[in-house]
Amino acid sequence: MLESFALSIVDGPLNIWIVSTYWLWPVLEIIHFTGLSLLLGGLIIIDLRIVGHFRTLSPVVTHKFLPAVLVGFGLNFITGVLFFYGDPLRYAVNIGFQIKMLLVVLAGLNALLYYWKINPLVHSWNSNTESPRIAKFVGYTSLSLWTAVLLCGRLIPYVGTG
Amino acid sequence: MEQNIFTQLENTPVAIWVGESLWGYPLLLSLHVVGLAIVVGIFSMRDMRLLGLFSGLQPVAFIALSKLAWVGFIINGITGFLLFTSQAATFVNSTPFLIKISCITAGMVLAGVIQSRLRGELADSNGDVKISKATQLIALLSLSLWMSAIIAGRLIAYIF
Repeated sequence: MLESFALSIVDGPLNIWIVSTYWLWPVLEIIHFTGLSLLLGGLIIIDLRIVGHFRTLSPVVTHKFLPAVLVGFGLNFITGVLFFYGDPLRYAVNIGFQIKMLLVVLAGLNALLYYWKINPLVHSWNSNTESPRIAKFVGYTSLSLWTAVLLCGRLIPYVGTG
Repeated sequence: MEQNIFTQLENTPVAIWVGESLWGYPLLLSLHVVGLAIVVGIFSMRDMRLLGLFSGLQPVAFIALSKLAWVGFIINGITGFLLFTSQAATFVNSTPFLIKISCITAGMVLAGVIQSRLRGELADSNGDVKISKATQLIALLSLSLWMSAIIAGRLIAYIF
C-alpha cells in the first residue's frame, strides 16, 4: 500500500519541486530538528509530572506546555510529509521509517489516553497525590515511544528494507 | 602540528570502531539526537517560559528540570566526542562544526547564568516571581544560541 502510494507520487509536481530545490532538504531537516526539540521538551515536562515527579508543580500548569508539543508535532508532520514526497521510494520500503510511523501512531493513541483518562483527573491533584497507575503508564509510555521514534528516525539512512 | 593530534585521534582503536563498525556511528548518532531533544527541549521551554509563554508554571521548576538537561548534555558530550573522533581532522576544519561547538559552549554558560539568576530572583520574592528584563534578554540570547546550534549542526553535513 505504502509502496504503491510512493510510486504514484514519484515525478509528481511536489516530488519534482523538492528534488530540484537544492537548499530545501537541509532547511526541512533544520525545521524537523527544531520541531522534535519542541515536542520532546514539552512532553518531558508534562509526562514527568503525571508519572509523579516535580510534585510541587500543578499538573494543570505543566499541561500548559501542550502547545509546544502540538506546534512541534505540526512542524514535523509537515516537514515529514515533504521528506516522504521528496524521496518516496526510499522511505516507503525503509524498515526504520515503517517502525517509526507505527510508533508515532501508537504514541498518538497513547496521547488520546492522556486526553481522555488523565487530563480530567489532574485538576484534583496536589503535591501529596500519588500518581495513579494509569497516569504512570501513559507518561512512561509516551516518553519511551517518542524516544524510540527519535532513534528510528535517525537510523533511517542506515537501515535497509529489513 | 594541530592536524597531527587530530589525525592521531582518528587512528585510535575507539575512533576506528566508531568509523568502521556496522552500528557504531548510526547508534551514536541516534543517541545524540535523543540527547539533543532533552537539552534543547528543556532549555527552549525554560527560555520561552522566561520570555512570557506558558504562563502559570513557576520558573523555579526549571532549577530542577535543568539537572535533567545536564543528563542530556552528558549523553551528547560522550556521543559527540566519539562521533568526532572518527573524523576529527575533518570536523576540526569544518566551519559549521566550530560554530556549533561555540554556540553550545555559550548556551551552557548562559544556562549557568540563568540558573543562578533564577535562584536569586526566587530568593527575592515569595512565589510570585517577576522575571527581570535582563534575565529575559539572556533567555532570548540562549534560545537563539540553541537554535543556531541546531542549524550549524545540520549544516555540518552540507558545508565542507
